[in-house]
Amino acid sequence: MDTHVFASLAQIRILLVPIGSISQQTFEKYASEIRSFDAIRLGDIAVEGTKDERARFQPKSLSTGYLHLSFPSHPPPHSHQALSLIRPSQLPLAVIGVTTCSHSEALPEIISQFNGTVLDMFPPPAMYPLARNCFVFEEDSSSGISPGGQHPELIIFPEMMGNRKLHIGTLLGEICSKIFGEFGVLIQRLESPLGNEYLNASLFPSLPLLTDMPPSMDSKDTLPPLPSHSSQPELSKSALSKVAPAMKRNSSLGVPTVRKRLSAIGAASSHGRLFKVMADCFLLAGRTEDALIWYTEALQLLKSPLDTIWNASALEGMATIPILDSWSAGHGLQTSTSVGREPWSDIADKLAQATILYFKVPPSDIDNYQFLSYLYCCCVLRHTSLLFAIWSAKGWGPLAFTTMLQPGPTPYLPPTLSHNESTTWSNLERLSSMSGIPRTTISSLLSQVHGPWLLHLGSRERVSVLEAIASTYSCLGYRRKESYILREVLGCILDLIVCGREEDAHTNMRSFGIKGTVGIRLNESSDGNESILKLIKHVCKVLGVHLDAIQIVDDSSDPMSHSEADDESDIYREPFGWPELQIGVVRESVAVAEALPDFLAVAQYALSSLKTLQEFLEPGDQYHLYSTAARAMQTARRRGATKAVEYWSGRPVVSIALAPLPFVRLPIEKPISALKPRTSDSNAILKGGTDPFLYNPRRMNATQGKSLVVQGELLEFIVIVQNPYVFDMELHSLSLSTSGTPFESNPISLVVPARSYHRVILSGKALTTGSLIIRGCLVQAPGGIPREFVLPLASEEEEERLAHKRSAALCEAGRFKYFGLDSFSWRKNQSPDSSSGSSSRSSKTPSFLECKVVPEQPLLRIRRTTVTHGALMLYDGEMSSIRITFENISLLPIDFVRLAFDDSTISPAQQALAESEMSVFETYETEYALIHRPVFSWIKNDSVTIAPGRKVTLSINCFGKVGCTEGTIHASYSYIHRNPSDSEENSVFHTRQLSYPLMVTVYRMLESHGLDILPYPSYPLGNDDNVMKNSLDLFVEDNGAWCLFSIDIMNTYGTPFEVSLERVQEDVPWGETIVNVPPGSTSRLVIPLKKFLLSDEHISRPIPTLSDRQFVVDKTKLSEAEQQMQRELFWYREELFKCLRCQWREAGGTRYGDLSLRQQRLTLTMLEILRTEKAGIQLTLVRPGNPAEPIQHRAGKYHPPCSELVYVRIKVTNLTKSTLVFTLDVNIDPREHVIHDGVLCDIPVGRLEVKESREVEVAICFLCHGRFEILASARVLESGTSSGTGSARLIAMVDTNT
Amino acid sequence: MSHHLFILSPSDTPIYNLTYSSTKPTPTIISPLSSNLPTWSTSAFAGTLTALSGASSTTQHTTGGGVRIGGGQDRHVIQMIANASLDAVEDVMRKEGTMYLKSVDRFNEWTVSAFITPGNTKFVLLHEAKNDEGIKSFFLDVWELYVKTILNPFHSNQQMIRSSTFDSRVRASAKKYL
Repeated sequence: MDTHVFASLAQIRILLVPIGSISQQTFEKYASEIRSFDAIRLGDIAVEGTKDERARFQPKSLSTGYLHLSFPSHPPPHSHQALSLIRPSQLPLAVIGVTTCSHSEALPEIISQFNGTVLDMFPPPAMYPLARNCFVFEEDSSSGISPGGQHPELIIFPEMMGNRKLHIGTLLGEICSKIFGEFGVLIQRLESPLGNEYLNASLFPSLPLLTDMPPSMDSKDTLPPLPSHSSQPELSKSALSKVAPAMKRNSSLGVPTVRKRLSAIGAASSHGRLFKVMADCFLLAGRTEDALIWYTEALQLLKSPLDTIWNASALEGMATIPILDSWSAGHGLQTSTSVGREPWSDIADKLAQATILYFKVPPSDIDNYQFLSYLYCCCVLRHTSLLFAIWSAKGWGPLAFTTMLQPGPTPYLPPTLSHNESTTWSNLERLSSMSGIPRTTISSLLSQVHGPWLLHLGSRERVSVLEAIASTYSCLGYRRKESYILREVLGCILDLIVCGREEDAHTNMRSFGIKGTVGIRLNESSDGNESILKLIKHVCKVLGVHLDAIQIVDDSSDPMSHSEADDESDIYREPFGWPELQIGVVRESVAVAEALPDFLAVAQYALSSLKTLQEFLEPGDQYHLYSTAARAMQTARRRGATKAVEYWSGRPVVSIALAPLPFVRLPIEKPISALKPRTSDSNAILKGGTDPFLYNPRRMNATQGKSLVVQGELLEFIVIVQNPYVFDMELHSLSLSTSGTPFESNPISLVVPARSYHRVILSGKALTTGSLIIRGCLVQAPGGIPREFVLPLASEEEEERLAHKRSAALCEAGRFKYFGLDSFSWRKNQSPDSSSGSSSRSSKTPSFLECKVVPEQPLLRIRRTTVTHGALMLYDGEMSSIRITFENISLLPIDFVRLAFDDSTISPAQQALAESEMSVFETYETEYALIHRPVFSWIKNDSVTIAPGRKVTLSINCFGKVGCTEGTIHASYSYIHRNPSDSEENSVFHTRQLSYPLMVTVYRMLESHGLDILPYPSYPLGNDDNVMKNSLDLFVEDNGAWCLFSIDIMNTYGTPFEVSLERVQEDVPWGETIVNVPPGSTSRLVIPLKKFLLSDEHISRPIPTLSDRQFVVDKTKLSEAEQQMQRELFWYREELFKCLRCQWREAGGTRYGDLSLRQQRLTLTMLEILRTEKAGIQLTLVRPGNPAEPIQHRAGKYHPPCSELVYVRIKVTNLTKSTLVFTLDVNIDPREHVIHDGVLCDIPVGRLEVKESREVEVAICFLCHGRFEILASARVLESGTSSGTGSARLIAMVDTNT
Repeated sequence: MSHHLFILSPSDTPIYNLTYSSTKPTPTIISPLSSNLPTWSTSAFAGTLTALSGASSTTQHTTGGGVRIGGGQDRHVIQMIANASLDAVEDVMRKEGTMYLKSVDRFNEWTVSAFITPGNTKFVLLHEAKNDEGIKSFFLDVWELYVKTILNPFHSNQQMIRSSTFDSRVRASAKKYL
């Protein structure tokens, strides 16, 4: 393509075209050989001996200049023919065909092809090329190819030729010489008046056709054209006196005369243009001195009637000359001579002037705008490239000249800019400071080229100009400006592609019109797509869009390979760049990729931008990008693309959790030791399973440990997926990524609703036992590559790591260490470092969700129960039983069944116990209720086995407990003895549980209250045996040793109950009282009880706790005595309840149960009565005598005589189990009618051994008739204090009739 | 004559922008080159090019349906120009210590002036006419307003400035100076 080299005006363009079937490689080989001649000494040009007009531009002998050649390989557009006079250097002056040939016979064909090609490139009215040659390189020919002679433009290079290069050089010289000759002819034609008129006819004149020329012009001998005459001496004159400025002025003074003469001849136009063309030709011919002179002349002429374009063009040409001179003169020797002004300022001024002239072009024909704009752009670019070359060459010097003269066809980058670090700020600034040209100067110059006039340009020139701008900006390090221009370049190229395709489509549709409007793309070529995509990526990168965020990878790539931590997605990202621009450029790049079309790239770009710009994209854009990507991927797939895009939507999986197994299927791990019988298992219920330790490290492990799942059974995992986008995101497949034991699961496809978190259930089966590790999820978008997302368990460490990262990012946020583009590139560079740092920390493998797969387990179900509707109705204290039938519905036998129970009374009691706010007494009661009176119980049976498919029925005892509303029966079962061989190594076994909840209703129907213990009445009701026999139970002998127990029972229910109270005292005959309690009434039950006495050490025991609770501190501050009292009460009460059994029975029904008396209080007086006295006292009245004669007594009453001495015989028996000292008090009432012997108080009895009795006699005499009551009470003397215990009463009726 | 002000955070993210049209006439010299532009293609890409080359602002009367024209000045193009001018701004600001960089860059018909705060926030103003003193005063005003805004401890310097007070004061200042 065209390069905008500074010195392009001085370069002879020689077009190299491949002819025939030459391979590109071969062509390039020969072309590069030709191209190595970019400058030819004038001295090397063979000067033809002719002295006609052809000799005018031939180099003088011994001249020291250079010719500059450039070898483009593309012909110029046909429209450029218009520039052929104003800018001859723009067009190729010669064409060299390059071809290979192996035999002579092919030569005619080659020549015809060559001619055809040239004709095609340069259709007839074209002036150029002035020379055409075809270089035929001989290849593989057995015999030498003879040129044949009839085609002079064919030049054969034999294969054997040793100095081919030298030969090429010579040939090039010849070609140039021919060109110069043709220049002479050309100028001669223009020098004619008609030619000059043609030249001045329009802004972009063309050469008069030969046929238009007057015939006289053909014969140059007859009438030598005047300009030729006038210019030739001047030329020679100035050539002779080239150094003298005075002479120059002379020559310029001479110009008006010439002009006058010309006008006198009748040519209305000035010769400025002619001189300018001549100067151009001299410049091309390397004769800079002549060129300078003619330019000066031309400028003079063009200025006065201002011919802006030609004037500007002449200025450009003039500006080129010093560079050529410097190059040829210095070539490495000349250094910058700073004398106030920079050496290039003169050139720059000229170019600036030219720029202004071009810019202010007068309005003209519309067709000309294309060329005007082009010339303007070229001029600005020339100016820029001057400064740029100097800047990049670190100043005015050989390197700069070389850069400016570089022939192309590829753009030349000076070594100062072609190394790696050339774009660093320091390097660029160094160049600026060394050359003295700031970058902004170049950039502001360059920005002049950019404007609406670019639209005037032909597409090829436009691309070329824009390319030149972009590359200059790039070299300057102005990457944003570069990307601005590159967007225009892309626009240009794609417009061409699209339009070209439309034309194609039209032609195709025409040809296939009958079959409908199906556009058939005949030629699909993806050449160059790569480069366009590269450009897009470059532009996007500068704007901060990372289009490669999603990679295109091979279909077969391993999804696991991407497991790099992508968890930055939730970390705060600092915005970079200009969101609106980013979105714009993204939209554009997707459109570009679509237009190419490159479907994978479309998908890649669309998805990358969705990923990276999600927060800025409007909903509409998101939809558009998503649908575009989906469509593109489908198309790519349909066309058999072997690559696909990787997964894109950030991190879709938020969490994975194992769905808790249904309770009946949940295996529970138990140590095998649990099967051994335990010594104390009663207390578990009291503790309520609470741990005695406040901190139990083992329990912590147990809860965090792996969950247990069963081999071969369906597992469900709850996966939360997120979709931050505004569209419903489709996931082609979502499956679990597991390791450890094989896991069988089917991937599912789903649609995640827009902007939501979605719950998905993935299920599968573990095939063998062992450990199943769920690493994460495999996710695949439609048409994409599956990708694994690893989800480490949110362990403390992991959380900490993430939090650390997040805080680090937040800490960095808002601190700008880098600005502008650096802030972006810095981020990109640093990210591998930071990730490597974190990976080293996280190298201790992150923990994943883990399940322990246990062997297959049997499954049990409840087939039936005797409970209707799952509700149990009980009376308070009722005992009943229910039966549950279990069925084994698995293929494994069950050899272990255990039942456990729970009811609603347990936990409140447990809680109350745990709070330990109750008194010792209450605590005992609660514990007693828990342990001894459970709602449910069963008789443990270890030998239950259930074969597969069989049933078994278990019976459970129920007990009605008021306050119970519901209960649960838990059955745990297992198959323990699977295999005798491995049963030893198993230290654990697994059970499953089955729960059967029950509604329990307990009716309270009998209320007991008013417990009382009364002394057994000493007055027998009568002596008749009838009564005694009828109520046998109530009558006992030795009534001092008995007491009466009574309790009121109230029936608050609607049906009558029969309540029985049984006496089950040891050593005492069994007794029972039965009362039928009708509804609503209260009945009293009375039963005599034998008094009993508990030993001291028995009653001094503390109130026990049934649990093994430790550290039970007695909260109540009781004194010693009170405590003693409490204990005494407690123990007697316990003993009392042991002696009694109170039961009820439904009258006329089958239901029965216990009636608890435990709510009743035992008071101290009751205790006194219940307790056997320490001393047993028997009173008898005897008459004195030996042996003493007892006084008759009847019905418990003595009838002693009046006024007679009688003895009260008091027999004291020590009833305790220890030796005691007793005293006696006797009280007689009425006292005043009795006389007695000795004292009645503190009668010493003495020490009595156990069971020993001693009698004490007191002599008394009743002084009158009447009823006397004698009361004897014993007292125990202990350590100085005496306490009363035991008493007896005697009633004496003293009357006359005895 | 319109003005476009962008306040850019150091990472090139715009945190405020303002388009202000003053009543003064536009004194631009229009080259004959930029007249009579051809409508050479109707493809979407050609529209991009038309807009980017600055043609849309001048040819709005000639070009028809295919070309996207936003009130004569394509917003996207204005932003592109502002963004591209940062190259020059950064280059100059590293060499010159001044905060006010007057006419630091030119592109198409726009002249770019910039103001760099000590915190490296850039005020970029695209304007068409030369008005150095006015722009300087305007920038100083905006700076003061900006500093007052970011004094707010809840405002991070990457956030968009959405304060309506700021907006109205900047507009007032623009009216005064531009």
